[in-house]
Amino acid sequence: MLYDLIIIGGGPAGIAAGIYASRKKINSLIISKDFGGQAVVSSKIENIIGFKEISGMEMAEVFESHLRAQDNIDIKSGILISSIKENAGGFEIETSNGEKTQSKYILIALGSGYKKLNVPGEKEFEGKGVFYCPICDAPLMKNKPVAVIGGGNSGLGAVRDLLPYASEIFLLECSDELKGDQILQDQIKKEEKVKITANAKVKEIFGDAFVKGLKYEDLNSGEEKILNLAGIFIEIGYQPNTVLVKDLVKLNEKGEIIINHQTMQTSKKGIWAAGDITDNLYNQINIAIGDGIKAVLNIYETLKKENQ
Amino acid sequence: MVTIYSTPTCPYCEMAKKYFKENNIQYQNFDVSVNENAAREMLEKTHQMGVPVIDIDGAIIIGFNKPEIEKALGL
Repeated sequence: MLYDLIIIGGGPAGIAAGIYASRKKINSLIISKDFGGQAVVSSKIENIIGFKEISGMEMAEVFESHLRAQDNIDIKSGILISSIKENAGGFEIETSNGEKTQSKYILIALGSGYKKLNVPGEKEFEGKGVFYCPICDAPLMKNKPVAVIGGGNSGLGAVRDLLPYASEIFLLECSDELKGDQILQDQIKKEEKVKITANAKVKEIFGDAFVKGLKYEDLNSGEEKILNLAGIFIEIGYQPNTVLVKDLVKLNEKGEIIINHQTMQTSKKGIWAAGDITDNLYNQINIAIGDGIKAVLNIYETLKKENQ
Repeated sequence: MVTIYSTPTCPYCEMAKKYFKENNIQYQNFDVSVNENAAREMLEKTHQMGVPVIDIDGAIIIGFNKPEIEKALGL
């Protein structure tokens, strides 16, 4: 089967692109692991236009059902991609089940994944007290002391998810102040069991079979301090999922795909990209939706010109 | 026999359960945030605490990994 367009990724950018591709009747396929993207793990999202308040999981369902209501796009989900290769007619995508599919053009909307702290103990204790999904694993921390690393919106959200369970929550931020939305900061600063420490640089995570605590440097005094903990939730941001495409398209120093912000085209002819995987300045669900749409409209125009 | 160890708030647990329901696969669910025996069992099977953990006839899968689940189910 030869497609004109394969959309890779089922987050907001990919889903929006899929809906537009179907409505433009582009001969297209969308391939994804699952639907919703990284925001599925948010317990509460309050800034998607049209939804006063929605959980990430509900958002994923609403988005997926909107996509599945489209008639003119093939959908393959639950599938991992093993490689993307350039060939004479465009690109060949191989999936984990060994299937190969050809497409003239591709749109990469693979989003981003958790950024690691890269300190000793982090890898060793992953799942053994080191967690990256607070909404999943917070209920296991009942009456236990925990730390959240990172004072951005994700970190503040993690604190909120842990409040009903943990006995004490240490929020560590490595710069001199919290970065998340003021409204979230105000909410968690009121809580007695939350202890906020800025200028705290995590040095090491330690334990035996499971996490017992962490060591951090107080950047004001240079002193090393120890916290005894049962859980550590790492929320220091995201890095783009570019493993599959890093040899095909140009990336910036942060590892994000460099795009033309008017057309969403990458450095490689025939490849477009949208959403958090790109070098756009602001990573937001609403923006990813718009960018996915921009990409498809540009792909549509490109196809039309070719057929003239 | 399919068993899932989950927490009530975990989206990937919900995705896994939805997948089993859609494919008419019978499963038993243990909420490890309240069921201490199940939590211990999950630790013994995986030596870790992250959810979901899915046990398909002894094949242990951590996370909602659909290709792995399908392989274990023989689909």
